[in-house]
Amino acid sequence: MMKLIKLMTSAALLLAAFQLFASPLQAAAPYEGYSYSYWGTTSTTPNAYLPETVINGVEQGIGKFKEPTDLYVDDDGQLYVLDAGNGRIVVFDEQWKVVREIRGFQNGGKQDQFANPQGLFVTKKGQIFVADTDNSRVVELTNEGEFVREIGAPKSEVIRDGFEYFPKKVGVDNAGRIYVIGRGVFDGIIEFDSDGVFTGFMGTNRVKFDVWDYFWKKLSTKAQKSKLAQFVPLEFNNLDLDQEGFIYTTTAEVNSADPIKRLNSTGVDVLRREGYFFPRGDVYSSNPNASSILIDVQVGANGVYSALDSRKGRVFTYNEDGNLMYVFGRIGTQEGTFKTPVAVESRGSQFFVLDQGLNRINVFSPTRYGTLINDANALLVSGDYNGAESKWRELLRLDANNEIAYVGIGKAMLRQGDNKLAMENLKLGYDRVYYSKAFGKYRKEMTRKYFGAGMTVVFVLIAALWSWNIIKRRSTGKVKANVI
Amino acid sequence: MLSEIAKFPFYVLLHPFQGFWDLKYENKGKLRISLSILLLLTIATIILRQYSGFVVNFNYPYDLNSISELQYIVLPFFLWCVSNWSLTTLMDGEGKFKEIVMATGYALLPLVLMRFGNTFLSNIITLRESSFYYLIESIATLWFIWLLFIGTMTVHQYSVMKTIVTMLLTLVVMGIIIFLGLLFFSLLQEMLGFVFAIYTEISLRL
Repeated sequence: MMKLIKLMTSAALLLAAFQLFASPLQAAAPYEGYSYSYWGTTSTTPNAYLPETVINGVEQGIGKFKEPTDLYVDDDGQLYVLDAGNGRIVVFDEQWKVVREIRGFQNGGKQDQFANPQGLFVTKKGQIFVADTDNSRVVELTNEGEFVREIGAPKSEVIRDGFEYFPKKVGVDNAGRIYVIGRGVFDGIIEFDSDGVFTGFMGTNRVKFDVWDYFWKKLSTKAQKSKLAQFVPLEFNNLDLDQEGFIYTTTAEVNSADPIKRLNSTGVDVLRREGYFFPRGDVYSSNPNASSILIDVQVGANGVYSALDSRKGRVFTYNEDGNLMYVFGRIGTQEGTFKTPVAVESRGSQFFVLDQGLNRINVFSPTRYGTLINDANALLVSGDYNGAESKWRELLRLDANNEIAYVGIGKAMLRQGDNKLAMENLKLGYDRVYYSKAFGKYRKEMTRKYFGAGMTVVFVLIAALWSWNIIKRRSTGKVKANVI
Repeated sequence: MLSEIAKFPFYVLLHPFQGFWDLKYENKGKLRISLSILLLLTIATIILRQYSGFVVNFNYPYDLNSISELQYIVLPFFLWCVSNWSLTTLMDGEGKFKEIVMATGYALLPLVLMRFGNTFLSNIITLRESSFYYLIESIATLWFIWLLFIGTMTVHQYSVMKTIVTMLLTLVVMGIIIFLGLLFFSLLQEMLGFVFAIYTEISLRL
C-alpha cells in the first residue's frame, strides 16, 4: 500500500515537473500557429517561427531608429535598414555589428541628403538604390555610400497630365533595369532601362467594378459622373525580385483573389496557384474587415515567398506552388509582435520584420516544426522525394493535420510504386490529380492480378448456364413429349 | 402479378407515351410504387453523397445530413405535385391529384438508377474518366425532364405547347407557395413574439 502511494506521488511530481517545463515554452509565444485546411477551416498548428530578439539601434551604438521604412538583405547577408526619420541607411553584418552608416552623400560637389525615403534595394554587385520619395528621385550609391547617379521623374508622351512622381519602392533586375513603384501611380510599375531612361509601365492591375456600378454610371448625368468614383486599377504597393528576375508585387486590396503577383518581363502574372486557396493571406474573409492587407513581399530561396499583412500583423509564407507553409506574427507591443509592420526580409532561415511604430526590427527563428517544413520543401524542390518523405513523416508527428505532408508522402509512395499507400495519403491531403494517378496504377495492378481468375469464373459461369439451359430444354421437351 | 407491378416503371421508362397512357387509363400505375420510387431516390441520393468516389466527391463530410435530403427531394416533389394540380385544375387539365403524383414519381426512375449506378461507377474511375460520370448524370436528368414532360402531357391530355407553358408556370407557382409559406411563418413568429412580450411585460409589472 505504502509503495503504491509513493509511486503515485512520484508520478504526480514528475507530471508537475513536466508541466513546469512545458508551460514557459508555451507562454513565450505571443501568437498561436495556424493553417487553413482543405475545407477552409483553420486548424491549430505548432508555431513555425518564434521571436528571437529585437534590434532598435540603441544596443548597436548608433542611436534609436526613427520611423524606419524599409529593410533589405543583400547576397552577402548584410542587412540594410532605411532609417527614414534619421535620414540614414544603416548596414549590419550577420552578428548585428554596424558595418556602415550612410547619412548623406556628395552630389556634384554639394552635400546632399534623403527626404523621407521609402524604399531600398541592393543589387548583387552591392550598389544601393534608394527611392528618395520627397525628392522625387531614385538615388544610386556604391556600397560605401558614394553617390553614383540620380534618376528623376520619367519623361515621355505616354504619361498622363497631372502625373506626380513620388517613388515609393524600387527594385533592380539582373540586367540593370530599374523598377519603381510610385505613390498613387495606378498605371503599373515604372520601368527604366539600365541608363535610367524611362521605357514604359508594366504589369498594370486590372480594373475591377461590378455591374451595378456600371449601370448607375450609364444612367447618371455628366455632372453626377464627375462626382462618382472613377474606375481606376489599384496601385501596387511593394515589389521584390527573385533570383531569375521575376518581379513579385503586392496590392493592398480588400478581398482580392490575387493580391500577390509574380510578373515576368512582359508584365504577365505567372504566379503558381496550385494550393487549396490562392495566396492571399487570411482565407476566411467574407467579412471585409477580416481580409488581409498585404503590404510587402519577400522572396527567399527555393521559390518560397512571404507576404506581410499590415492589418493583423501576420507573415504568410508560401512555397513555389502556392501552398501555405506557415503563418506567424501578430499586432501587439510584446517582443515579436508589431504596432505598424512595414517590411519583411529573410536571411537563411531567419525572418526580420520591421516595425515602424515601435522603431525596431523583430528577429524570428524557426522552431523544430518550422525547420522541418523548410527542409522538406527544400528537398522537394531539389527533387529528393524520398528525403522529403522522411521529413514529412517527422512533421506529421508534430502536426497530424498537415495536409501538405500527406501529399508529400503520397507522391513519394507513388514514386516508389506503393500505389495503395499513395492513394491513402493523397486522399488525406485532398490531392485529386495525384490520387487519380495512383488509383489508375492501382486499378491496373489489380486487373492484372485478378484477370485470370475473373475470366475463369466468367467462362465457367457461362458454360454452366449454357448447359443448364440445354438440360432444362431437354427435360421439359421430354415432359411435353410424354404428355402428348 | 408482383413482377408485373415491378416491371411497369421500367416499361414507362422506355415507352413513355404508351406507359403513361396505361398508367392513367388502364389503372396500371400504383401510388405506393410511385412513393417507393421517391423513397428510393432519397436513399440513392444519400448514398451517392456519402459513398461516391473521391475523385468526384466534393462534399464536406460534416455538412452531410440525411434529413436535409428530405428537404431537397421530398419537399420539392410534393410542392411540384400540389402546384401542378392547383394550376391544371384551373387550366382544364384532366389529371387527378393521384395521377399527378404517380406520373411525377414514375418519371423519377432514371434519377434513381443513375444515382445508384454512378455511386458504383465513381469508385472505379480516375479523374480523366470522370467526364463519363457527369455525362451519365446529365443524360439521366434530361431523361427525367423528358418523362415528366410526357407524363404531364398524357395525364392532363394537353398539347405540346400547353404542357411546356404549364410546366414553367408550375415552377412559378412553386415559388409563390414558398413565398406564402415563409410569409405565414414569419408573421406567425412576429405574432407569437408579440404575445410573449405582452405576457412578459404584464408578469413583470404585476
